[in-house]
Amino acid sequence: RPPSPLVRCRLTQVRWSRYNPSFIEPEVNKELYQKPWEELSEEEKKKLELKAVQPIKAAPPSLSSSVFSDPMVSKFTNMMMKGGNKVLARSLMSQTLEAIKRKQLEKYHKAPEDEKETIECNPYVIFHQALKNCQPIIGLSSITKGGKTYQVPVPLKDNRKRFLAMKWLITECRENKNRRMLMPEKLSLELLQAFNNEGPIIKKKHMLHKMAEANRAYAHFRWW
Amino acid sequence: PLVFIASVTVCVLPSQAKHSEHHEGRHYSIPLEEVKAVFPHGLPSRFQQQIKTFNEACLMVRKPALELFTYLKSSNFAHPAVRYVIYGEKGTGKTMTLCHVVHYCARQGWLVLHIPDAHLWVKNCKELMKSSYKEERLDQPLQASVWLKNFKASNERFLKEIKTQKTYVWGKQESTEEGRPLGEVVEQGLARTRNASDAVGVVLKELKQQCQRGSFRLLVAVDGVNALWGRTTLKREDKSPVSPGELTLVYNLRKLMMNNWNGGAIVTTLSQTGSLFKPRSAYLPQELLGKVSHGLPPPSFTMGNRNPGWGTASGHGGRVCFSLSSHNIL
Repeated sequence: RPPSPLVRCRLTQVRWSRYNPSFIEPEVNKELYQKPWEELSEEEKKKLELKAVQPIKAAPPSLSSSVFSDPMVSKFTNMMMKGGNKVLARSLMSQTLEAIKRKQLEKYHKAPEDEKETIECNPYVIFHQALKNCQPIIGLSSITKGGKTYQVPVPLKDNRKRFLAMKWLITECRENKNRRMLMPEKLSLELLQAFNNEGPIIKKKHMLHKMAEANRAYAHFRWW
Repeated sequence: PLVFIASVTVCVLPSQAKHSEHHEGRHYSIPLEEVKAVFPHGLPSRFQQQIKTFNEACLMVRKPALELFTYLKSSNFAHPAVRYVIYGEKGTGKTMTLCHVVHYCARQGWLVLHIPDAHLWVKNCKELMKSSYKEERLDQPLQASVWLKNFKASNERFLKEIKTQKTYVWGKQESTEEGRPLGEVVEQGLARTRNASDAVGVVLKELKQQCQRGSFRLLVAVDGVNALWGRTTLKREDKSPVSPGELTLVYNLRKLMMNNWNGGAIVTTLSQTGSLFKPRSAYLPQELLGKVSHGLPPPSFTMGNRNPGWGTASGHGGRVCFSLSSHNIL
């Protein structure tokens, strides 16, 4: 298969090989480098001195120091990506954010004066709030005891909560939509519904909470 | 990532007649009622989306548009109509410049004949019929009726004032007498789609003849004029290809494009976006128009090769070229 026109050089997957443990992670935060020496705390001073001596790992291409880069948005784009087509996933993401902004602006222009302040127009704020609203607090895990498997309610880690929220959002948009509706449109619809605490994903979260509540008798099966 | 640049200066500019060089680069807004009246079909779809989102229609004042205004103001209407061609690379604002000129002329009281996209007439035609008027030609009832509807919406008062100068017989029982208002011809075309293309031809002929008397000024604004002289993707029933000259609509429009009439102006745009069988990188008049562009003044590039090249307005069969380069976009 011919390589895509954007990638001319051969990419060597440096991150997949095992680095020597002495290698340090790259620091992307620009503000840290702009601080004068006196304002740095003890740990930061030690870290900077270490950097002068120790080798540093190569920075991954998705890591950026730009003000516009958002780790949540990048994670979501990676989860939406299929077959390594990051270009398509990123364009879908930007079209989704554009669609959210357009919908909110139309609502803003039609609303009466006193309601205009309550309407949120920033698509990033809506995205973060919607994902936060979709995160479950408690999850279920299957534990086998005495030959039978029980669904035991278990506290979830932050990473797991974020992953579940994004996964539910993407599967919902892929499966339950009109044949002719495009992904950005459907995603923007779901995100706005989740922002207002309504819609199918919030319902799924509530169902999970109810199941956990129903199975609270088995909670003592957890040993961690 | 999404970046919304809020550095655009939107100001309430004085009426368009007073747009001058220091207004270049600023945006001026058209009231929404005027948009519906003047542009029933003219604006590109992405601009219509912007109007819907922001609840206002803001056009940028561009240098080629200002130059066109000076030419139109100082043109002598006793001389044959000058043909202006706006060309440039993709996304530089040719259609928006044309819309600006159309709005300007509509405000001044001209009769505007706006064909939003000539490429739509040479491709994707669902119903091709044999013309009832001339055997070799082909009719396009759908496209013609859509255009007639939009033409009626934008030029209501002219249709009542202009009278036909000949009797036109549409069928066994239908005919339009001499001296009836042109609106009746348009109604006939809308009522009977079979005669829609012929109605368009009649309207174009009447306007061309009556404009020379001087009772009104005619602006012919065509977007994507390279479609009229290119190839079509249409085929007859026996799968033989159709050339644009064999379509009634295109044939009648080509007659208007000649500069053998006076009392108005012809402003056109070249467009590669909807064109057929042209490579994506083609934007110069020689590349898009082909043989028709022989006799056009060559664009003169001053500094570098990205600057606009202006054509001179003298001679050369009355054709002027305006080019839009990437400097003209915000």
